[in-house]
Amino acid sequence: MTFVGSFQSEWLKRRRSLASWLVLIGAFFTPSIILASRIKNHAALPPLYVSEDFWRRLWSQSWESMEVFLLPIGIILATGLIAQIEYKNNTWKQLHTTPQGFTTIFLAKLLVVLLMLVEVFVLFNVGVYLSAVIPAALFGGVPYPTAPIPFADFWAGNVNFFIDCLPIVALQYLLSLHFKNFLVPVGAGFAIWFLGVGLLSWEYSYVFPYNHGAINFLTATGHFAGRKLPASVELLALVYFAAFTVAGWVLYVTKREKG
Amino acid sequence: MAGTLNQRPDCCVETVNLTHKFSEAETALNLVNLQVMEGSIYGFLGPNGAGKTTTLKLILGLLRKQHGEIYVFGKTFENNRVETLRRIGSMIESPSIYGHLTATENLQILQKVYRCPKGRIDEVLGLVGLARTGRKKASQFSLGMKQRLGLALALLHSPSLLILDEPTNGLDPNGILEIRGLLQELNKHRGVTILISSHLLSEIEKLVTHVGIINHGHLMFQGTLAELLSRRRQSSFVVFKTNDDAKAERIVRGMGLNPRVERGGVEVPALEREQVAGINRTLVRDGIEVYQIGRVENDLEEIFFDVIAE
Repeated sequence: MTFVGSFQSEWLKRRRSLASWLVLIGAFFTPSIILASRIKNHAALPPLYVSEDFWRRLWSQSWESMEVFLLPIGIILATGLIAQIEYKNNTWKQLHTTPQGFTTIFLAKLLVVLLMLVEVFVLFNVGVYLSAVIPAALFGGVPYPTAPIPFADFWAGNVNFFIDCLPIVALQYLLSLHFKNFLVPVGAGFAIWFLGVGLLSWEYSYVFPYNHGAINFLTATGHFAGRKLPASVELLALVYFAAFTVAGWVLYVTKREKG
Repeated sequence: MAGTLNQRPDCCVETVNLTHKFSEAETALNLVNLQVMEGSIYGFLGPNGAGKTTTLKLILGLLRKQHGEIYVFGKTFENNRVETLRRIGSMIESPSIYGHLTATENLQILQKVYRCPKGRIDEVLGLVGLARTGRKKASQFSLGMKQRLGLALALLHSPSLLILDEPTNGLDPNGILEIRGLLQELNKHRGVTILISSHLLSEIEKLVTHVGIINHGHLMFQGTLAELLSRRRQSSFVVFKTNDDAKAERIVRGMGLNPRVERGGVEVPALEREQVAGINRTLVRDGIEVYQIGRVENDLEEIFFDVIAE
């Protein structure tokens, strides 16, 4: 019961915050660009819309920028902004004098970040669907896609991509709670992500916690054919997530000054 | 886990030899033994940087305790943190307010945690005079309004103990009077114990029942307001204005007192009324003309400065 109240309280704080706007912008960014491009080039769409692999091509096109660039950047910024709500408003001291255990506060905030990520995934999938059907609704010559949506594959892909994001969430959460200055977690996050992107061609790049999404996507699209990967990149991501979460919790609970 | 019981059962807050260092060179608090009686309004006074906020933060668990003991509601704080905080309302330094939210939304955040009735939100907003702020974001509030909202946040769950760090900062004189009235009402009619810090005695002398004065991390005085007022009487002077102050000073000294020639007369510390009459009689008998006899009392602010200068 205490945790439910704590979570509801944390969830309220994101109302009208920059982080909640970032969720909307991040989720609809790529689908909007794809939609705009399709509206501009609608004359070339009819053969594409009757092709058998219509949904898979749209899926790959949509996730390419999302998985490699937008999701890591969005997570780095949104997680930092969630912690900044307390720093910017000087409210840590108020929060820490409420009758809640430090672990409860830590987990309630983490759950908010994770649910915002779920929100991004749901809205992004809605955006992908809309980017497919809106041109068909707008232009008479463009048919509705005839190929069936491969729900099972898309669901599995979403789950894997979500798990791949978890190490980024946990490490950014650790950094954002620990450093008052917003630029520290964001700067560190970008530096780690840049380094990871630079190392993508390295055969052991999967050891880098921010690379799992990109590796997963590039493997699924055949770019990493022949590369040796661990049995499950997702399992590795979950191990990183657990390790960073525990480290973040220890740092948070043992912080000397709490407001 | 009940925790160790404190030494004074009538104390709502008690610290025993509370010591805190921010570094080896900087001792913020040194063996502070604070005793806030149940049902009192305790004014915690001291100049800026004296250790007031550090003490309050330690009591609320915002700083990790290094040395000494803290008892709140008779139990050690660290073993009963959540249970204790449920009964405390606080406002430390500037009010903690989410600027992107309205006053009602700010209170909703705490209402979810305390699980108090939703009706309390309008009740406390009315109590602090913020009932009509509507959809205005808290970031657009004046400093005084923010201070009132901070107070509403502290009062939301009807706490038994209020810990307020300089709550009248930024309020206009009328606002100060209103807040003072509200705190007195809470104390008198709802039995709320209040620990309030300030660097100005004049600001809280009409409010408090007990006073603690801290300076450089040392608790210099602790007692009732009446005890502090008696210090004022003890540090008062009677001034005799005569035609020959030097001779009058010798005569008074001969009576076993400790006079000095100052303020255009002979100044004699802390005299009872009968002693004043006796000195007057002696001076007149010895041929000295006494033009004026007057009592000079230090105001409380001077006592405060005397205490912190000790």
